[in-house]
Amino acid sequence: MGKYTLIVTEKPEAARRIAQALDKEGEPEEFKRRGVPCLRAFREGELVVVPALGHLYTVVHERGGRNYYPVFSFEWAPRHLAERGAKQVKAWIEVFSEMAENADSFIDACDYDLEGSLIGYCVLKYACGGKEGLAKRMKYSTLTKRELEKAYAELLPGLDFGLIKAGETRHEVDWLYGINLSRALTLAAQRSSRRYTTLSTGRVQGPSLRFMVEREREIRCFVPAAYWDIGAEVEIGGSAYEVEYEREKLGRRAEADAVVRACEGKAGEIKEVELREFQERPPTPFDIGTLQTEAYRHFGYTPRQTLDIAQRLYLQALISYPRTSSQKLPPVIDYRVILSSLSRGRDYEDLAAELLKRAELTPHEGEKEDPAHPAVYPTGSLPEAALSGPERKVLDLVVRRFMAVFGDPAVRQSMRVSIEVNGHLFYLRGRRILKEGWMRFYGPYVSSDEVLLPPLRKGDTVRLRRVTRQDKFTKPPPRYNPSSLLKKMEDEGIGTKATRADIIQTLYDRGYIRGRSITVTGLGFDVTEVLSGHCPSVVSVELTRGLEEKMELIQNGGEKRENVLLEAVEQLRPVLEGLKEDEEAIGEALSEALRRARMEERIVGPCPDCGTGSLMIIYSRRTGKRFIGCTNYFKNACRTSFPLPQKGTVRPAQRECGACGWPQVEVRMMGRRPWILCFNPRCPRKEERRP
Amino acid sequence: MKCRVCDREAAGAYCDRHERAYQNLRERYEAWKQALDVSWKEYLAEVAQNENTGTWAKEVAEALLSRDES
Repeated sequence: MGKYTLIVTEKPEAARRIAQALDKEGEPEEFKRRGVPCLRAFREGELVVVPALGHLYTVVHERGGRNYYPVFSFEWAPRHLAERGAKQVKAWIEVFSEMAENADSFIDACDYDLEGSLIGYCVLKYACGGKEGLAKRMKYSTLTKRELEKAYAELLPGLDFGLIKAGETRHEVDWLYGINLSRALTLAAQRSSRRYTTLSTGRVQGPSLRFMVEREREIRCFVPAAYWDIGAEVEIGGSAYEVEYEREKLGRRAEADAVVRACEGKAGEIKEVELREFQERPPTPFDIGTLQTEAYRHFGYTPRQTLDIAQRLYLQALISYPRTSSQKLPPVIDYRVILSSLSRGRDYEDLAAELLKRAELTPHEGEKEDPAHPAVYPTGSLPEAALSGPERKVLDLVVRRFMAVFGDPAVRQSMRVSIEVNGHLFYLRGRRILKEGWMRFYGPYVSSDEVLLPPLRKGDTVRLRRVTRQDKFTKPPPRYNPSSLLKKMEDEGIGTKATRADIIQTLYDRGYIRGRSITVTGLGFDVTEVLSGHCPSVVSVELTRGLEEKMELIQNGGEKRENVLLEAVEQLRPVLEGLKEDEEAIGEALSEALRRARMEERIVGPCPDCGTGSLMIIYSRRTGKRFIGCTNYFKNACRTSFPLPQKGTVRPAQRECGACGWPQVEVRMMGRRPWILCFNPRCPRKEERRP
Repeated sequence: MKCRVCDREAAGAYCDRHERAYQNLRERYEAWKQALDVSWKEYLAEVAQNENTGTWAKEVAEALLSRDES
């Protein structure tokens, strides 16, 4: 093999696309080294494209060992030396080292962002033996042939060291926080209970959990207030229409009763008809946050799921790079080429053709910018293989949003009819769309709330068909869901577009939160209370936001990595000393929290027999077998018990049987799909199945 | 001292979680009294079974009711 150019990519799929785009024939030679899929392409010279597997290197403690803190000395090391389950990384690093030996030039073709730049840098520096200074950089936002060829023709002369330093610092600061605080919590609990359970927190995890704890506290302490409103209907031309009373809330029941008495059976006179027309501008292009919010709203996908789906679509060259905070679509992406490609498919043929007829195409852009990438947009390429359902849905959302941003403003008309009934005013409201504009392109994703009213004139009389008092209660604030939490983190300026979804997932994985409509668990409460009590700065938004801002400055050369690291250590040192001093008290609180959490995990639901106890998964000390028993058994008050399968794992399903209303359990066994079991022996569904 | 509701450590009658719920119950009573002319006990009974009441507030209301009965 002669000399060649070694191209480093972030993932195998990206390597394949790049090699295909750059090879003269479009058919690069695939070969495997130690199981790593590499590609050889020919252009002016030979190109060898080797993919990474995301991060191959990570931050580790220089000294090793797990059972102590504080730890402030670190280094970058191959992931397989630091993480269980990363064995395969060894082969990938060896392949890079081997392939670098015969290479005479190097190109970093990883994604152009904080993480991608760091991945490429680490490979070039550590695996390829100090080639980070020689390497050139490919910068692209889509994996289409056109853009990859352009990026190769216009290589940046060197790596983006500002971005790399910022990425490096972020990993190091997060490591310092994560390792020290998590060890402090875990060791305190372990020393107190003599039982190991991983407890974690971090620079962003702590404040994020605190948002939810604060909200949960408000919900759990909430006491509703009673209020009343008036429900009424008028009859116009034989049809009934809901009307609103002039006051939204009435504070006393007697007041509401008086209104009902005064209006019952009376006719109303139209006093005024107000018409208002307003324009609704098109939506702005998707940055990753708004894409995640819309995908949650329409399909119920969590931010993590949307990010994963978008990443897959990007690797198939169907959409542009999704981890972007930009809401801009620069003309350089060539709107017409994309629309022409979209018009070739059946689904968007008419809509794309309609836009192409226009002499000028100007997107309605948002405020947010990202120096590295434009907003998320479709490339116009057709899928090479069948897409999964979620992929199809997210792609459709991206395509329609892209077209909608070029649409005209929509024109809506609102109508308010004031009706007087015996001295009381009621409002009849109507809404309709006069001109669809961009809504036509966004189609199913437009919230249509049209209420069409018949023609009405001042002085007309209408009959009040129904008027009733409605007893209402104020509601607690809504719970966060993964999407609104992500938005909150974004608004508070903590985490990055690439890390927020993962942090939310970690909170679920650690058992601190559960459910789509997020509930904080007892463990989540206790961990936050321990941290707030002993080291409030760790859960404060201000501290993490301050660090975030400084890390961003590194990218532009406005701050030095060393200063930020020093600051992080200086902030952490007194916190960790405090935690060590209070270790006994913290340990006791956390062990108690873990004990309660383990109990909570085994509670199936209320006991249907005694009504006061809870059904719980219990392990017999005598036989080791498990069964469901009532907690009142221990007080000799209830002897209810039910058998359980003895194989696999059983846990509360957090739902009730549709037939008998009893709580259910979820059973998981190797090689079988998990199933939901109703353990009520007299469940009507079981009776039905009996021969 | 233990919380009257959950056995957690408490500075007064309630732990900090239930104390806040108790304070909310006290504060909200005035509005209920004016709106419905209900007694403290009637109010607690209403709140304890209202679906919008938070779990800690419900627990405190139930504890107050059961103390009253005993």
